[in-house]
Amino acid sequence: MTQSTKTMPSESIPATLEVPPESRLQYINRMLGVSRLGLVLVILLAALPFIPPFNREDLLRWMIGATLIAAQAIAFDFTTGYINVVNFGFAAFLGVGAYTSALLAVELGVSPWIGIFAGVVPAAVLGFFTGVLTLRLRGIFAALMSWFVGLALLGIARNWVDLTRGPLGLSAPRFLETSSNRPYFYIIFAMMIVTYVVLRWITRSHIGLAFRALGQNIDAARASGINPTFYRVLNFTVQCAFAGWLGGFYAHYYGILTPQVMATSHTVEVLAIAYVGGRGSIWGGAFVAFPFIFFFEWLRSTLTDLPGLHLVLYGVLLILVMIFYPGGVAQLYELLKDLVSRFRPDPVSTTKVTK
Amino acid sequence: MLEINDLNAGYGFLQVLWNVSMRVEKGEFVALVGPNGAGKSTTLKTIAGLLAPMSGEIVLNGEAIGGMEAHRVSSVKGISFISESLNLFTGMSVHENLLLGAYIIQDQARIQEGLDIVYQLFARLKERRNQLAGTLSGGERKMLAIGRGIMSAPDLLLVDEPSLGLAPNLTMVVFDALEQLRQSGVTILLVEQNVNSTLKITDRAYVLEQGQIAMEGSSRELLKNEHVRSAYLGI
Amino acid sequence: MQATQTQESFITDLLRKVFSAAGLTILLTLVIAGATVFIAGPFVLINAIVTGGMWALMAAGLSLVFGVMNIVNFAHGEFFMVGTLVAYFVFTPLSAHLKTNPSPLLSAVAPFLGILAAALVGALLGAVIEKTVFLQLRKRTKEQWIMNSFLLTVGLSVIIINGVQILWGTNFKGITRYWEIPPFDILGVTVSVDRAVVFFLAMATMLLFWYFLRNTGTGRAIRAVSQDETGARMVGIDMNRIQVLTMALSSALAALAGASLLFMFPSYPTVGLKPLYIAWYVVILVGMGNVAGALVGGFIVALLQTMTSYFIGPGWEDVIPTAFVMLILLVKPSGLFGSEVKGIHER
Repeated sequence: MTQSTKTMPSESIPATLEVPPESRLQYINRMLGVSRLGLVLVILLAALPFIPPFNREDLLRWMIGATLIAAQAIAFDFTTGYINVVNFGFAAFLGVGAYTSALLAVELGVSPWIGIFAGVVPAAVLGFFTGVLTLRLRGIFAALMSWFVGLALLGIARNWVDLTRGPLGLSAPRFLETSSNRPYFYIIFAMMIVTYVVLRWITRSHIGLAFRALGQNIDAARASGINPTFYRVLNFTVQCAFAGWLGGFYAHYYGILTPQVMATSHTVEVLAIAYVGGRGSIWGGAFVAFPFIFFFEWLRSTLTDLPGLHLVLYGVLLILVMIFYPGGVAQLYELLKDLVSRFRPDPVSTTKVTK
Repeated sequence: MLEINDLNAGYGFLQVLWNVSMRVEKGEFVALVGPNGAGKSTTLKTIAGLLAPMSGEIVLNGEAIGGMEAHRVSSVKGISFISESLNLFTGMSVHENLLLGAYIIQDQARIQEGLDIVYQLFARLKERRNQLAGTLSGGERKMLAIGRGIMSAPDLLLVDEPSLGLAPNLTMVVFDALEQLRQSGVTILLVEQNVNSTLKITDRAYVLEQGQIAMEGSSRELLKNEHVRSAYLGI
Repeated sequence: MQATQTQESFITDLLRKVFSAAGLTILLTLVIAGATVFIAGPFVLINAIVTGGMWALMAAGLSLVFGVMNIVNFAHGEFFMVGTLVAYFVFTPLSAHLKTNPSPLLSAVAPFLGILAAALVGALLGAVIEKTVFLQLRKRTKEQWIMNSFLLTVGLSVIIINGVQILWGTNFKGITRYWEIPPFDILGVTVSVDRAVVFFLAMATMLLFWYFLRNTGTGRAIRAVSQDETGARMVGIDMNRIQVLTMALSSALAALAGASLLFMFPSYPTVGLKPLYIAWYVVILVGMGNVAGALVGGFIVALLQTMTSYFIGPGWEDVIPTAFVMLILLVKPSGLFGSEVKGIHER
């Protein structure tokens, strides 16, 4: 084999091939995983409540609902998309946080602003236990176990009427005196951002790497020195902590709480959105939540004689995604990004290599 | 009867067989030998329809069957595959396993005939006819697998390493049974690592190495062949 | 000498069976049942037996689908619901007709017509779902099949519940009773005719189902697929056909249960949720894929529920059995009667 006798003189290696050290901004950007497009959308969302017709109370109500689901989808995907376990009792943990915060406010007069953080504690503790319970169980059995936990919690909420007032409902004081929805939107918006930032950061850290290793192949992960017990329980605890926190918002926004908040159907809603958005993407479900909720609420208000139609569509979409496009919208986005980058001129390749 | 032309097959992106061509005439007793991992099981699985070929053809009595569903290969085409892992129904009795072997046969008389043949061939199975297949010993399970395979009165029998893990005396029983089957007119394609015994009872043989046919010929000739003797017979 | 040896091994074998997890569970259940009758009276037991039979059928269908098709069916309860719906729409007009044209023969037979129709519709629905949705998923998913198919059934459940709601509304469609025959006394307990008939229907169906699985060629083929899929293909069993059949059978059983219990459970879109998780309790209690166990387990869970309802309070019957099942999943995930399904544990 003939070797090329010409070697590249060192001074003609293009400067663009040297990798500059990552700036602080770039580090933050990488950890957050927010593209420019994402940032624009978030800013748009923040500004929306001042732009007609989105400053209408009813549309604001939809936006709040959508943001709440978006935040839940982020938390849900934190477990499903990373350690590959579906927490099928998710809604119950939200409910635990909601009831805790509501009861603290009603019984002890605790301010909702503090209460929602207090609600995190029992939710996280229960999440910890659920994580421990599901430790030895494979995929579907872990999901079933978490479902049973959810059912048990729902049953307790329904039956312990002395505490929760059961199906009659518990009234909780709202955050603010105002009846306007706009400030509430900003509360939940802030909560969603915080949820995203924290969970995204964790998934991009070495902890997230451990999660993903566990999700892919638990034996290989263990062989690499990753302790499955620690990381699985950690993941569950964090997920349920956030669920509980968001539950606090639910209680002090909607103002009335029934055990139905823990119903499996609510977990299914979040699940459907998270899956359609894209498992493992963290942002996918959040992105998808907005158009979905808006569309469904619009359906609900226009086709009032067909209640539940939007839920049928949830189901159909979930099935279609599972069969035809398991990667969800996030996968579609990656595909589009790929296509776009192919048409964009690449700065490195246009640099001529000087001989 | 069976013709394989330029068969390429494998699992996913891992190709195991490369342009394999073989033939088995009706009534012949043909061996497919070779080292571990050569692709012998893959060949049988592809013929049996458990694996779809990547390219090439498998022709049975003039009809192309490559890619045909396994259950059709078994039921419609009269090919019976006895796998290396046996695939017995461990939760069912010996008798039930045999009945399932005759799944495609409706005629009760023929099923009874089949049972008689199997029990005559393998007396041990008759003794344990109500015992769960999962509780049988290794040798008995091999016998059951073969028995189940012949219940459908196949024209072509594909047998994958029947002697694997068997004590020598049981190996004799198994090989004897195959001989008897061959005498009754069944065509047999046998995959084995026990090259010596195999070449002694078969008519012809193919040697498969690294997914390709390295050698073919009459068994007697191959027994005398230098390469075969050094590589497989340790001589 | 020989005779005593076989006698001895028979006895040790029997003892081993009695003291196995399964045996002890059954023993314990019988003891508790006896105690309950002693303390609370036979009514608790009667209720448990009547619903238990139907839960057993539902659980058996669920177990079958898991064992044969590897599908964790979250929509199983929806077939129960469809059963109640069909039975209602068949029986109510017949019942109205009978008011003006009384006919003792038709009165006796009418409920069965509803139940039969429900079973047929259930079977059809199951077959359609298998052929459209599951078949497509099977073609496209190799890994994560169990989770993916489970989520698919979650989607199905949502569609069916809300579809029925849109088409027929949320109001309760119930009947007071199936047969206009006054209740009778057994051992001092008043038993309604509906309950008695349903019990015998459950028993008969169980026997038929059992006979089918054990002694027919197709039943054997279904069992073969659940034990060794490759082996089944090797002996000429058509997987697609078996899967359609299994799904149809499972759905028919659930629909039959729903139709039979219409006098207890009126028809409304979400009526299937409770039978769903009861069926799941049974299946996990006895072991996934263990169909025989499911038939027995139905009674055990029913007893557990009625006892909880009586001693602790109605409403808690959702919580206590749940906690119990969680315990089983934790301590003996392969179930009390043993599961043929491998790989429940993460190793």
